[in-house]
Amino acid sequence: MLNFNDLWIWFSDTETWEGRYGLWNLLAEHVSLTFVALFAAGIIAIPLGLVIGHFRKGETYVVAISSVSRAVPTMGLLFAMVLFLGVESRNLAVYIALGAIAFPPLLAGTYSGLIAIPNSTVDVARAQGMNELQIIWLVEIPLAVASILGGLRLAFVQVASTVTLAPLVGLGGLGFGIVQGLALRDFAQISGTALAVVLFTVLGDRLFAVAQKQRAFQV
Amino acid sequence: MKKVLLASIALASSAALALTGCAPSSTQSQAIVIGSQAYYSNEIVAEAYAQVLEDAGYTVDRQFALGQRDVYVPALLAGEIDLFPEYTGNFLQFLDPSATQTEAADVYSALQGKLPAELSALAMSPASDQDSYNVTAKYAADNNLISIADLANVKGIRLGGAPELAERPYGPKGLKSAYGVSVAFEATGETTVEALVAGLVELANVYSADPRIQELGLVTLQDPKGLFLASNLVPIASKAVDEMARKLVSDVSLAMSASELVAMNVRSVSEKLSSSEIAREWLLSEGLLTKK
Repeated sequence: MLNFNDLWIWFSDTETWEGRYGLWNLLAEHVSLTFVALFAAGIIAIPLGLVIGHFRKGETYVVAISSVSRAVPTMGLLFAMVLFLGVESRNLAVYIALGAIAFPPLLAGTYSGLIAIPNSTVDVARAQGMNELQIIWLVEIPLAVASILGGLRLAFVQVASTVTLAPLVGLGGLGFGIVQGLALRDFAQISGTALAVVLFTVLGDRLFAVAQKQRAFQV
Repeated sequence: MKKVLLASIALASSAALALTGCAPSSTQSQAIVIGSQAYYSNEIVAEAYAQVLEDAGYTVDRQFALGQRDVYVPALLAGEIDLFPEYTGNFLQFLDPSATQTEAADVYSALQGKLPAELSALAMSPASDQDSYNVTAKYAADNNLISIADLANVKGIRLGGAPELAERPYGPKGLKSAYGVSVAFEATGETTVEALVAGLVELANVYSADPRIQELGLVTLQDPKGLFLASNLVPIASKAVDEMARKLVSDVSLAMSASELVAMNVRSVSEKLSSSEIAREWLLSEGLLTKK
């Protein structure tokens, strides 16, 4: 079915890389879909995790949200969102579907980073005269940053590999090469594109891991 | 794995028949295994073949929703499936990617030449389910469109379709070479019809038997130069299907018109009827069933 020679020929063909559906453009779309979805999920999940972790209220919601969104099939949610929002808003539909899988690790990472801080540390900060916002900003976030980055790393890996569903609703990203390759039975294209997805995901994961480790050292 | 599964299902069903003693008094000792694609329209046709054979006393084993050609063609070649509703053009392209025939009769005879000795193509149906270019009624009226050739003077056409359309011979390159029509390709995937209606693309590749062409009042552009591959329904039978059964299935195939196929698809999509109900009602209306 596939031999490495075909794969090599595919990668060395300039047509593979150029144009609207060339590898470069698809990679750029893939990266942008991934990070917009991560950002959208992050601006909701991280503050929510900070509030829940700081006030130690609503922990049950963290568990509930995590387990519910893990049970939602992403592809089903994606199609449902396109039908619901209309095909004109398919970008938004993709962000919602991807955001839903990025949400639980971000929330859990932030929340568990905060509850791991000993009560005495927070009490000392309060005794120094810090108000609640200062405690969160100057004490809790710096101490929880490694855990937040851990959540971000997990969310990144899941989102980056699931963006491959986007071409099913007419958006780009590296999944295009897989969907098109399957229909054309072009095994070099399928495996070459899949390889690109793996490389992007693993590389991103490693970068987050390095950042996470550095922050952990500072504590 | 598949072989074991099919064998065990066949065994279980024949055992069940033997136990209950309701096996039809037929000379056929083995059940005819009928397959279908994982496509509702294809399943309705397979169901029609199955019911006609059962009506004549054959034992039938339904193996429906077997995915796409990559999955079931090997099973068909290995003799695990005896009868399958196929589409002439698409099946020919699968067997011979370099085939250049596009007219229905040429495609049918080319397909017969390309089939391996174990398989044969029964009578080709007038009903087809093939790629077609469609525009909205408004766009057709605004630009006086009847045939694909009329698009040559229209500027700024975006063509929507599945990702693979970009590379198909009837895709953007074919439009340019056959009709001199320039389009920008948009891979609209599973949401092609929605994208056309929403105005994200002006031209869309939709299967000709898709009920939404009727429902949404889309205009299918004529293809005078035969850009699209004709893809008529055709039953593909193995040697296990005897002469009598071949005749019965061929009659079903010949009786099905293009508009009847679309009408059955509409019933499946909008009335949510099961494929067996739809097939049965159609067979009865055509007088193809002896028992009621």
